[in-house]
Amino acid sequence: MSISSSVRKQKQMGTIATGEHTEVPPITLSEHSSTGLALLRIFVGYLWFQQLFWKLPPTFTGLYGYIVRESQHEILPGYGALPQHTFLAGCPSLSSPVGCTAFVPLAACVWTAELVVAISLLFGLFTRFGALLATILAVQLYVGLAYTEWIWTYGMLVLLALVLVAVPAGRRLGIDLWLAPRLQAAGQHHRLARIANWFV
Amino acid sequence: MQTLRRGLLAGVLASLVLAMFDFVTDGTPGNGLPAVLHWFGITVADPTLSRWAGFFLLVVLGAVWGLIFGALQRGTIITAGRALLTGLALGVLWWFIFELALTNIMNHASSPFSLSFGRFLSSFPLDVLFGVLIGAIFIQRQARQAAETL
Repeated sequence: MSISSSVRKQKQMGTIATGEHTEVPPITLSEHSSTGLALLRIFVGYLWFQQLFWKLPPTFTGLYGYIVRESQHEILPGYGALPQHTFLAGCPSLSSPVGCTAFVPLAACVWTAELVVAISLLFGLFTRFGALLATILAVQLYVGLAYTEWIWTYGMLVLLALVLVAVPAGRRLGIDLWLAPRLQAAGQHHRLARIANWFV
Repeated sequence: MQTLRRGLLAGVLASLVLAMFDFVTDGTPGNGLPAVLHWFGITVADPTLSRWAGFFLLVVLGAVWGLIFGALQRGTIITAGRALLTGLALGVLWWFIFELALTNIMNHASSPFSLSFGRFLSSFPLDVLFGVLIGAIFIQRQARQAAETL
């Protein structure tokens, strides 16, 4: 598996780098490294998978406390006002989601997004899409919650997701192994397949 | 013979991944492994021994599943699609036999097929993943061996 996906870029690099010491060799991952990254992907997927169970539908109760905390401790000034005036607007209590109508749609979206991330990373199915979604969710957690716990907890979550956006980790020990060559072939004729190919 | 050996290895490695999940779960590491013994009505009083016995039984069962996978290929070179699909089907079968039927029977549930949403969600994706991993490891080994012989 080569992580230098663009042949054109490699050629450009070769033309620019004429001197002996300025040449930058392409990076190629060995089978063992690729499998190692695939294992990393599976365990990061399991991390997201585990977090589904303390905020199960239909009540999503476990999530409520975290949304309240996000509204109180934010890194970006003014971010806390966003949940306060939207998802928590009109909520009678800060300890229970009962009577909080706007919270349930938000919680359902968060839970579904986390389920998609978990399935995508565990199975290596459109892995880069899952990793991108995981990055967005983790950045949001970082902004809202990093101050309430060890600050690197959510920072590491963002970085782990970014690794999986950068490397096609689903092409080993995953369904992307089967999907990638098909999407590449179909991408020559169909625009949708070309776009889908970015996410495997 | 080659496919059986490849299947055996794939089954063992996939079951090791499944077992490792128990070491990154909240609570005592390996806490879920005695459940594997419970599928067969085995109870070991010592908790440490119980976890180790569960671990080894899980690997043995994984090996058996891998052998079944290998036997289904009948010694032929298979495509990635077929490997993943067969693995997926074996994962579903694993879930059905062990996580659904045997767990319910051993817990004296009202029906061998009774299931809550939470239990389905916590078991089904991981068991299907186990099957997909068997297929993926098998196909990667096949490709590697083919490359070595060339």
